[in-house]
Amino acid sequence: MKHVGRPIPRLEDYHLLYGGARYLDDIELPGQLYAGFVRSPYPHARVKRVDASEALSMPGVVAVFTPQSGRPFDFAPGGKVRYQGEAVAMVVAADRYLLYDALEKVYVDYEPLPAVVDPIKAMEPGAPVIDESLGTNIAKREKYASGDAERALSSSDRVVEEELVIERTVPAPMEPHGVLAAYDGRTLLVYDSTQKPHIVRREIAKSLDVPLTAVRVVQPDVGGGFGSKIQVYPEEIRVATAAMALRRPVKWVATRSEDFKMTTYGRGLILRYKAGFTRDGVLKAIKGEVIADAGAYDWFGFELASTAVTMLPAAYKVRDLDVDAVSVLTNKPPLGPYRGAGRPEATFFIERIMDLIADETGLDPVEVRRRNLVEAAPYENPFGMSYDSGEYVAGLQRGIEATGYYDLIRNAESERARGRTLGVGMSFYIEITTYGHEVAIVRAERDGSFTVAVGIAPHGQGDATGIAQLVADELQIPIDKVRVVWGDTDLVPDGLGTDGSRSLTAGGSAAVLAARRLLDELKKAAEAMVGGPVEYSNGTFRSGDKAVSIAEVVEAAYRGKVKAQLEAMEVYRAKATYPYGVGVVVVELDPETGLVKPLLYRSYDDVGVVVNPLLAAGQIHGGALQGISQVLYEDVVYDQEGNLATPNFAFYHIPKATEAPRYEPHFAEAPHRSEHPTGTKGVGEAPTIAAAAAAIKAVEDAIRRATGKKVRLRRSPVRPEEIYRLLRE
Amino acid sequence: MRIRVRVNGVWYERDVEPRKLLVHFLRDDLGIKSVRVGCDTGHCGACTVLLNGMPVKSCNVLAVQADGAEIITADYGDELMERLKRAFHERHALQCGFCTSGMLLASYALLRRNPKPTEEEIREGISGVLCRCTGYQNIIEAVKAAI
Ligand code: FES
Ligand code: FES
Repeated sequence: MKHVGRPIPRLEDYHLLYGGARYLDDIELPGQLYAGFVRSPYPHARVKRVDASEALSMPGVVAVFTPQSGRPFDFAPGGKVRYQGEAVAMVVAADRYLLYDALEKVYVDYEPLPAVVDPIKAMEPGAPVIDESLGTNIAKREKYASGDAERALSSSDRVVEEELVIERTVPAPMEPHGVLAAYDGRTLLVYDSTQKPHIVRREIAKSLDVPLTAVRVVQPDVGGGFGSKIQVYPEEIRVATAAMALRRPVKWVATRSEDFKMTTYGRGLILRYKAGFTRDGVLKAIKGEVIADAGAYDWFGFELASTAVTMLPAAYKVRDLDVDAVSVLTNKPPLGPYRGAGRPEATFFIERIMDLIADETGLDPVEVRRRNLVEAAPYENPFGMSYDSGEYVAGLQRGIEATGYYDLIRNAESERARGRTLGVGMSFYIEITTYGHEVAIVRAERDGSFTVAVGIAPHGQGDATGIAQLVADELQIPIDKVRVVWGDTDLVPDGLGTDGSRSLTAGGSAAVLAARRLLDELKKAAEAMVGGPVEYSNGTFRSGDKAVSIAEVVEAAYRGKVKAQLEAMEVYRAKATYPYGVGVVVVELDPETGLVKPLLYRSYDDVGVVVNPLLAAGQIHGGALQGISQVLYEDVVYDQEGNLATPNFAFYHIPKATEAPRYEPHFAEAPHRSEHPTGTKGVGEAPTIAAAAAAIKAVEDAIRRATGKKVRLRRSPVRPEEIYRLLRE
Repeated sequence: MRIRVRVNGVWYERDVEPRKLLVHFLRDDLGIKSVRVGCDTGHCGACTVLLNGMPVKSCNVLAVQADGAEIITADYGDELMERLKRAFHERHALQCGFCTSGMLLASYALLRRNPKPTEEEIREGISGVLCRCTGYQNIIEAVKAAI
C-alpha cells in the first residue's frame, strides 16, 4: 500500500501526548546548577565595572562570570553593551529562586551612550555609531542591478515613489530558549533547544577550542523555533563554557521576558523605491533599496535584505531593476530569520506594488498580476534565480477559482448592505526553498524493520512521519516498520537541521536515495541466497518459484550467513526549488474602533508533491496565522530612548483562538514536481509569505468599503489607531 | 510550610517555600513535567492545570495556596482525557506540542462543564492558552470530535 499522499496522523504524537515529551527544561541532570544572565537596562552603554562580590556571598551561588572572564564568555565585547537586554554577566547558582535573588545583586557601572533605534536615522550623519571599528552604522551594502532601471523609469507612463515598512516581529515559539550542558572531563554533552544541533556542535567546538569529537549536542523536543533557534547564541556558548569550567551540569532557560531581550527578531525590512509602470498596468522598473534593521550585530540582517532583493521580482516579467541591499546597525537585539526569512518581505513589497498599480490604473488586482506574470517556468529571474517548475499564469487562474476570490468579493459587497464591513485581499507568491546538503542513513534492523537517521532536526513540522511515508514506499513495506530518528549528533549524520522549508525535500530525498541503495544491497544478498536474479515487490524477493522476504535476508546477513551491507548513507546536495500560489484573506473591520479581525484564509499552493495532506494543511494553518498576525496584531515598540515597550506577552500580542480565522487550503491537483526524488518543494513558509501580503490588502479593501475612499497602507503592522484615523479623515 | 495536594489522584505532602509558584512545585518538587512554562506574565497558558476542577494558570498560584487541593494535569488518564488525546492525534491538533498540555486541560474543563459546546464556545474555552504552531483550527476540530 502506498503511503505518500495519504493524511496519516503523526507518529511523533504518541510520545508528546503520553508523557514522553522532554523539552529542554524537563531534562534534569544530577547535581545540575542554574545559570542566569545580568542584562543591560540601557540600549547603549559603556560597561565600566561589574561588581559580583555581594552576589558571590549569597547562599547557593556557585560562580559569577563577568567581562573580566574574557573569552569565550565574551561579555560586553569592545567594552560596550549595544542593546537593552544584552548580557553583561552570568550567575550560576544551585537553585532557580536563589539564582534570581543573586542576579539582583550583581552591580554594574554603566556609562550610558546615546542610542539609535530607527535604521533610517542610524544611517544619517551624526548618528551614534554602534560599532566604532566600522565608523558607520551601515554594516554592508550591495547593489543588485539588471537592465537599465533609470531608462525604464523615464519611459514609464507613471512613476511612483514611496517607502514600505515591515516592522520587526518576535518569532516567539511557545518554548523559550534554553540549554543544558555537562562536562565529564572529556566530552561536553549539550542539550539545546535548537533547530540545528550539528551547527551548535561546530560552533561550540570552535568557540571553546576543543575538537568536534569532544562535543555531543542533543536536541530534545523543541517547542517551536520559526527561525529564532537557528542562530547559535552567545548564551549557548557561555553555558557550555561554564559547565566545562565548573565541571558541573549547568542549565539556563530563558524566562519569556528574557527571551524577548535575547532572541533574534524577525522581519524588520524597509523598501524605499521608485517604480514605473504603463497605463495598462505593466510594471517596467524598480529602483531603490531594501534596508535591514540589523540590530546591534549584523548576524543575519544583510542576508535578509539580499534575499528580499533577489526575490523582489517574483514571477513578474519586470527586468529593469536597480535595488541595493543594505544592513544597518541599530541598538536592538540582532535581526534573524523568521518563518520565510526575506521571502515574506519580498512578496509583501512586490504585492504592495502590484496593488498600487491596480489602484493607480483602475485595473482589477488579479488582472494586473496576470498582465505581469511570466507564463511558466523554467525561468531565470533578473538576479539569476532559476525557477524550476510551475505555470504562473495558469496557477493564478486556478488559484483565483479554487479560493473563490470573486465570490468572496461579492459576498463582502452584500454583507455591506447588512451593516458588516468585510475586506478581501489576494496575493500571488513565489518563494525559494531548499539549500545545502542533507544526509540520511538507513539501517536494516534484525526484525526486518528499518531505522532512518537524518541530519534534519524537525520540531513540530512532522517530517519524521513524512520521511517514514517516503521510505516505506521506497522499500514497499508498512510504515510501522520504519523508525525515523534525529537530533543527536552522536547518533545521526551531520546535517544542517531544520529551516528554510527544506527538511522533507532535502532530508527526505537523502532518505529515499539511501533506502534505494540499501535495497540494492539486500537484493544482491537475496540473489546469493536463492541463487539467481530476483525481482522485488512488497517486501519479498522472488526468482521463479523461490521467494525470500526482506526480513529473512536481513536476518541471514545479521547471522553472517550471507554477505550484505546492512546500512546505507546518502549525502544529498539539494538545489533550490520554487513553490508558488495564491493566498486570500478575508477580514472584518469594526468602523467604530478601527479593530480588524481575520475571518478566513483560503489558499491555492503548488508546493510540488504533497506527501501528507494532513500535515501540509497544518503548516498552512499555522503559517497563515503568523503572516496575518504580523499585519494585524504583532507590534514591536520602542520608546525614543530605545527602551523596548513590548517586553513580553503582556504587551506583545500573539493571537488567541478567538482571534484566529478559518483556514481552507487547496493544493494544486496536478502539482509541478521539483527535480528532487521526493518531488516536494516545501510548505512550511509558503502560507506565511502569501498571507501577510494578502492581509494588508484585505484591510485596505475593508477601509475602502467603509469609506468609499481608496487608501494606501505602507506599514506592517497596521495599527488600529491608524485605521481609526483613516476612517475619519 | 508543609502542604498536601492530590495530583492525578495521588496525595503528596511536601515542605515548600512560601514564595514558590505552583508550577515550579509541580515541575521541580514533584517531577510532573507535563505542566509547562511558556511565559512569566500569566499570558500563555502552557502551565494550565485543573485546580478543584477549574482551569488555572499554575504560574499565577502559589504552591501554598493549593494546600488541600485536587489537581489534574495532562497525565490524567480518564476516559475524557483519553478521548481528547486521541482526537488531538487524529486531527493533527499538535505540532511542537508545547501548548498541548494546556490545551488538553482547557478542553477537558470545557467539556466537563459544557458537554456540547458550539465552535464559539470552544474558541472561548481554549483562549487562555496560546498556540504558535497550529493556527488553532485543528485543536478546535479535535475538541468537536471528542464531544
Ligand atoms: S507559564 Fe505562561 S501563563 Fe503560566
Ligand atoms: S503546537 Fe506548538 S505551540 Fe501549540
